[in-house]
Amino acid sequence: MKTRASLLTLLYATTALLSLGAPAWAGKEQINQAANDGEEALLSDSEAQRRAVPGRAPRDAQQPTPTDNPGAVPPAPPNLPREFIPVPDRWRLSDAIGVVTETIDPYKQNVLKGDRPVWGRDWFVNLSAISDTVFEQRRVPTPVVFQSSNQAGANDQFSRYGQNFIAQNVIGSFSLIKGNTAFKPPDFELRLSPVFTYTRLDVQEVGITDADPTKGTVRNDTHFGVAEAFVDYHIHNVSERYDFDSIRLGIQPFSTDFRGFLFQDSQLGARLFGNRFNNKLQYNIAWFRRLEKDTNSGQNDIFRRMRDDDIFIANLYFQDAFTLGYTPQFTVVHNRNRENSRFYYDDNDFLQRPASLGDERQRRYNVTYVGFNGDGHFGRVNLTHSVYGAFGTDKNNQFTGREADIRAYFAAAEPSVDFDWIRVRGSFVYASGDKDPFDDTEGGWSGIFENPQIAGSDTSYWIRQGIPFIGGGGVGLKQRNSVTADLRTSKEHGQSNFNNPGILLLGGGADFDVLPELRLTTNINHLSFADTSNIEFLRNQGSISTSIGWDVSAAATYRPLNNQNIVFRLSGAVLFPGEGLKRIYSFEDDNQDPLYSILANLILTY
Amino acid sequence: MGDQGGMAAQMQRKAIAERGALPRAVGRLLRACAAAFLAMAPALAMAQGNVTSVQTVFLTAADVGQIISQAVQEAQARNRPATIAVTDRVGNVLGVFRMNGAPVELRVTTNRNIPVGNGLEQVEQVLAALSTTLGTVNGAPTTDLSAIAKAITGAYLSSSGNAFTTRTASQIVQENFNPLEFRAPGGPLFGVQFSQLPCSDLNLREPQGSVGPKRSPLGLSADPGGIPLYKNGFVVGAIGVESDGIYTIDRIVTDIDTSDDELIATAGTFGFEAPIDIRANRITVGGKTLRFVDRDRLDRNNPLYSNPAAAPAFAAIDTVLGNRVGVRNYFSNAGNPNPPPALRGGTAYGDPASGYAPDPTGNLSAFGPAFVLRDPTTPTNNRFPPIAGSGPPGAALTANEVATLLQNALKTAFAGRAQIRRPLDSFIQVTVSVVDVNGVVLGIARTPDAPIFGTDVSLQKARTAMFISRSPQITGGSAAFLLQQFNSTVASGILVPPQPVGNNALGVFIQLYATGAKQFISGTALDDGIAYSSRGIGNIHRPFYPDGIDGTPNGPFSTPYATWSPFNVGLQLDLVIDNIAQHLVFLRTGAAAAETAAQCSFLPVTAPVGTTKQLANGLQPFAGGFPIYRNGVLVGGIGVSGDGIDQDDSIGFLGLHLAGQALGTGVQNAPAGIRDDVLAPLGARLRYVSCPFQPRAGGNDQNICRGK
Repeated sequence: MKTRASLLTLLYATTALLSLGAPAWAGKEQINQAANDGEEALLSDSEAQRRAVPGRAPRDAQQPTPTDNPGAVPPAPPNLPREFIPVPDRWRLSDAIGVVTETIDPYKQNVLKGDRPVWGRDWFVNLSAISDTVFEQRRVPTPVVFQSSNQAGANDQFSRYGQNFIAQNVIGSFSLIKGNTAFKPPDFELRLSPVFTYTRLDVQEVGITDADPTKGTVRNDTHFGVAEAFVDYHIHNVSERYDFDSIRLGIQPFSTDFRGFLFQDSQLGARLFGNRFNNKLQYNIAWFRRLEKDTNSGQNDIFRRMRDDDIFIANLYFQDAFTLGYTPQFTVVHNRNRENSRFYYDDNDFLQRPASLGDERQRRYNVTYVGFNGDGHFGRVNLTHSVYGAFGTDKNNQFTGREADIRAYFAAAEPSVDFDWIRVRGSFVYASGDKDPFDDTEGGWSGIFENPQIAGSDTSYWIRQGIPFIGGGGVGLKQRNSVTADLRTSKEHGQSNFNNPGILLLGGGADFDVLPELRLTTNINHLSFADTSNIEFLRNQGSISTSIGWDVSAAATYRPLNNQNIVFRLSGAVLFPGEGLKRIYSFEDDNQDPLYSILANLILTY
Repeated sequence: MGDQGGMAAQMQRKAIAERGALPRAVGRLLRACAAAFLAMAPALAMAQGNVTSVQTVFLTAADVGQIISQAVQEAQARNRPATIAVTDRVGNVLGVFRMNGAPVELRVTTNRNIPVGNGLEQVEQVLAALSTTLGTVNGAPTTDLSAIAKAITGAYLSSSGNAFTTRTASQIVQENFNPLEFRAPGGPLFGVQFSQLPCSDLNLREPQGSVGPKRSPLGLSADPGGIPLYKNGFVVGAIGVESDGIYTIDRIVTDIDTSDDELIATAGTFGFEAPIDIRANRITVGGKTLRFVDRDRLDRNNPLYSNPAAAPAFAAIDTVLGNRVGVRNYFSNAGNPNPPPALRGGTAYGDPASGYAPDPTGNLSAFGPAFVLRDPTTPTNNRFPPIAGSGPPGAALTANEVATLLQNALKTAFAGRAQIRRPLDSFIQVTVSVVDVNGVVLGIARTPDAPIFGTDVSLQKARTAMFISRSPQITGGSAAFLLQQFNSTVASGILVPPQPVGNNALGVFIQLYATGAKQFISGTALDDGIAYSSRGIGNIHRPFYPDGIDGTPNGPFSTPYATWSPFNVGLQLDLVIDNIAQHLVFLRTGAAAAETAAQCSFLPVTAPVGTTKQLANGLQPFAGGFPIYRNGVLVGGIGVSGDGIDQDDSIGFLGLHLAGQALGTGVQNAPAGIRDDVLAPLGARLRYVSCPFQPRAGGNDQNICRGK
C-alpha cells in the first residue's frame, strides 16, 4: 500500500512537471519483485550437475540443503514428504514443463520484464512504459502584465483566473541487470529512462505563457528529456544476509526524507549506499550536481549548461529503532550554490536567476540542513514526521545587499489511525518565516527541491498549484507541488530563498477504501503565513494578515484491475481565501469564484 | 535624526568598550539612548510618510557651507577635484563650488557609442563646434550644470516618505527595469529625465525670486552623485557632485560601484542624511528594491576616505581649495554670474516663499489638507487656482468643475496606499494638474508632502494625454496636424546648417512621428479622436514594442534602439531639444545669445488668448495622465505624478470618474470604445489605465477601476 501511495503521488508529481525518476524508481521495486518471484533458491554449480528431471523421483532425496544461513528458519527435515525440491537451473526447468515465454503480457514469463535472462544466466532486461495524462482545470490568480492586455478594459492588476492545463508524459524505461539470486541485490544495473512530455497551457491573459505578450494566451510545448540514466554497481556484500555496499552513478532519483520535504528529484549524482546489521541500518552518501531543467516539462535537460549548485547528502536509517515498525532517519544535507555569475532566463524568457526580487543582484549561498525524520507506526498509530534546521550564509541578502546568516526551521508530522477500511489523518506543517527583512538573518525556510507528500499532497489546492506573487516580484508566492511559500522564481530553475513568510498548515483528512478498486481521499487544511513582514515589504503594503485560508479537497482513485497498470484519479480542491490572501489577490467581480482546481489523471503502466 | 542618534550611540558604545568601564558606561549609554529617543520622537512622528503638515526646517547658509566643505574634503582625499552644488527642496541653488583642477567641460554620454547628433548624446560636440564655425558661440554644457541638475534631482524625487537619489533615477528611466534585464518592461519613470526643463512654463527661474519649483538646466539627472539632504526627517535640499566631467547613467545595476561623485556627495550629506528607513533601498516597485547609493558611510566597510565630521569651515576652503561659481539664472546676482554670489540659505518648504504652501482658500481641502503652488510675485496667492477653460467653445471646463476634479483626485490620494513611501500604508502623496484643450493650466493641487518633481510632471502628463488625444474637430486641429506645425526658430538660427521648417535643430523632421504613428497603428492615427492616456502614449514611446521585449522594433514615438538612449528617446526630446540647446548656448555665452522662452516645444498656440503653447513644458510618456471628456468631446487633460505609476493612474482615472459622478455635467473619462486599449498594433494591445493592487490601505477591493 505504501508503495502504491508513493507511486501514485510520484506519478502525479510527474504530471506536475517534476521528476519522472520517482515513478521509475517505484517501478524498479516492482521489477525486482517480479524478478524475485520468478526465481527459486539457486544451488551451487556442483549441485547443478545433478539436476533433477521433471516427472522422475529425485535422484538423491537425502541431499542436504545448505545450512550456512544461521538466522534462517531451519529447512524441513529431509525425511518429510516434500512437494518441491530445489532445482539448480530453473530456466531449463520452465522450458521443460512447457512455460511459454510471452513477449507482451507482463504477468506471464516475459523476457522483457526480467523474468528470464536475455543472455547467459544472469543478464536480465526490464522494459517498462508509462503513459501519464493530466487534464487540469483551475483558477489561479493571474495578473494583467505591464505592457499589454488580452482584452480592452483591463483597468486593474488582476485578469481572469481560469486556466486549462494538459500534460502528456510518455516514460520509457530500459534496465539491463546482472544478478543471480532471489535475496541478493543485483550485481550491476544500467538504467535509461527517457521521457517525452507534451504540455499545453491555456490562460486568459497575455504575457503569462511567455514574457512577450504577442505570443498570446496558449502555449504548446514538447520536450524530450532524461529522467534516469545511471549505472549501479554492487561493490560487495558484507554479510551473509547480503548486507551490501553499492554505488550508483548518473541521473538517479533520490529523496532526502520520507515525504520529500527537502529534496526529491532525479538529478545527476554519485551515491554510495548500502546497509548493515541485517538491513537494520541503511545509509546514503551522495553528491548531486544539479542539471538544468526544461522549463515547461520540468524534465532534466542534459544539453544545457549544468547548474552551479551542489548537494552533499549523508543519512542513516535505523529500522525498527525504539519500536518495531518505526524507522527514524538522521540526515545532513549541504547545499552549495554558486549561481552568482550570470543571469538565467527560462524558456519563456522570464528571469529565473537571480530572482527579480529585492536588489536583483546575483547571489550565492551555502546552507546546511540538519534533519531528523521518521516513518512508521507506534501500535495502531501511524506516524511520519520531519524536523529540519537550516543553517548557513547567504552572500547577498537581496533585501539588504549584505551577507546574512540563514537560520530557518521546518517541522511536519502526519499521524493517522486505521479503522477497518477508513484511515483518519491529521496533518501539521510549519516552515519558519523571516521576521525582519532588513536584519542580517534570513529566517524563512526554503528547501532545495520539495515534493511534499502530506496533507493530501497534490490533491490539495495549496500544495498542487503554483501561485504568482502578483505585484511583489517576479516570483511565485509558492510553487507547484510545494507546501512552503518561499517566494522563489520556480522549482525548476530558482534558487532557494530564505527571505519568505513561511507557512503553518494544520489539517486533517480521511481515506476511504470504498471498494478494492476505489479509494476516496478527503482533506481539509487551514493555512497561514508564519510572518508577513517580508511580503508586506515586497508589496509596500502593510497589514497583510497571516490567514491564507481553508483548503478543502477530495480525490477518487480507481484501479479497475486492482493493480497499477491502470490508475485513474479524479480530484477537486477549493481554496477559500482568508484575510491575508484577500489583501494580496482579487476575489471580486470576475474573480469572485473561489480558487479551485479539478484534476483528471490517467496512468497506464506496462 | 533617528539614524544619527543610532550612529552616535554606536560610536559611544565603541568608545566605552575600548575604555572597559562597562557598568557605568552602559548606564550612561542607556540614558543617552533614551534621551536621544525622546528627543527624536516628536520629530520622527512628524517626519514619516504620512505627514499632513510640514515643519519649518531649511538649510542655512552655514549648513550649505558645511555640506560643501565636507564634500570638498572627501574629493580632496580621493584626489578627485569636483564641482559641487547644493539646492533647497524647491530647486533654489544655494551654492556652487568648483574645486581647483575640477573639470569644467561636461561630456554627455551613456557610453553606448551612439553617434554624435543623436539627442543629447555627446551634444557638447555639436554645440562646441559652433565656436569654430561662428567664432563666438559655444553651447557646450559645463560641470556646474551637471552638479545643479543632480542636486535638483535628489531634492525633487524625495520626500518625508521616500529618499531617492540620481542613482534611483538612473534605475527607473532606462529601456528595461531593471536596466539590462532582458524582456523586462521599461523603467516606470521612463522619460522623467526630460522634466523640469529650462523652457518649462511651470518651473520658475532664479530672477523670479525664491518661489519654486525651479527649473533644471539639463532636466533631471540619472548620473549618480545627487543625494537629498534632510533635517528632522524633512527634505531640505540636496547635494550634487560632478567630478569626472561625464554626465551619464548607470547601465549595470547588479554591481557595486565605487563612484567618486556619489561618495563625495555622501560625505557632503553627513549631518543631513536621509533616514535609513525611507531610503530607496527599502522601497519596492514590483518587488524590486530601488537603489539609493551603491556604497555608503554606514556600510561595514566605510568607503569614505575622509571623516566628514572633521571638515573645516567653509570660509577656510573658499577661494583656497576652489571657488564659488556663478551660474547665470541659477546662482547669480539678478542674472549676472560674476562675481559669484555668497552661499545662501534655502527656503522652508511649506512657507509661501518656497512656492509650496497650504491652499489659502481651503476650497481644495475638502478631503484632506491640500497644498498649492504660490505665485512668484505674490506668494500669498495660489498660483494656479481653479479657473475655467479656454476651450473648446461651449464645452470648456468650468472653474467649479476644475475644483471638483482636483478635490476628487486628492480624495483618492488621501484614501490610497502609497507604493513609494514608508512606513507601509502611508497615503499617496502626489500633485494633480488639470489643463484645457489648449494646454492652459486650469488648476494645480497637491498633497502636503508630494515630491516636487511631480509638479511639473503632472502638468506634462495632463498636456500629453490631451495633446495626443486631440481630434481634427477641435479648434487648432489634431495631434497629427499640430506636429506638422512644429516651427523652431532655433533650428533656423543658432545651429549650422540651419534646418528647414518642420525640423528641429538636430535635423529631425517632427511630423515624421505622426506619419510613423499612422504606419504603425492605423492610417487615421492621431487624427481619429482615439483617447490616449500617457500610459498608452508611453507604450508607443519605447525603443521596443511591446515595451521591454528586446529585439522588437521601436514604437513610433521612439528612436530606433540602435540610436536610442535616455539621452535620445524620440519625440519627447526632439520637441524640446532646441530649447535645451538654446539654453545651453545662453548659459555659455550670456548676452551673446537669447535665453530660451518659458514655453517649450515650438508647437503652435491654440488658445484664443495667452501665449501657452501646446506641450509648453514638454511631453511626458509615462503613466498618470488622462484626457477629459464631456459627453464624448475632449475638453482637457488631468495629470498626476508623485507616487508609483499605478497609483498616479488610479488618482487621475478615479479622480476624474468620481468628479464626473459628483458633477453630473457630462464630464468623464473617455468613453470605453475610444480608449487607446482598443488598439493592438503588432498584436499587442495598448494599455489605458492600470490601477494598483490593494489600492487602499484597508479593505479588500482590488479592482477599483474595473468597468469605469
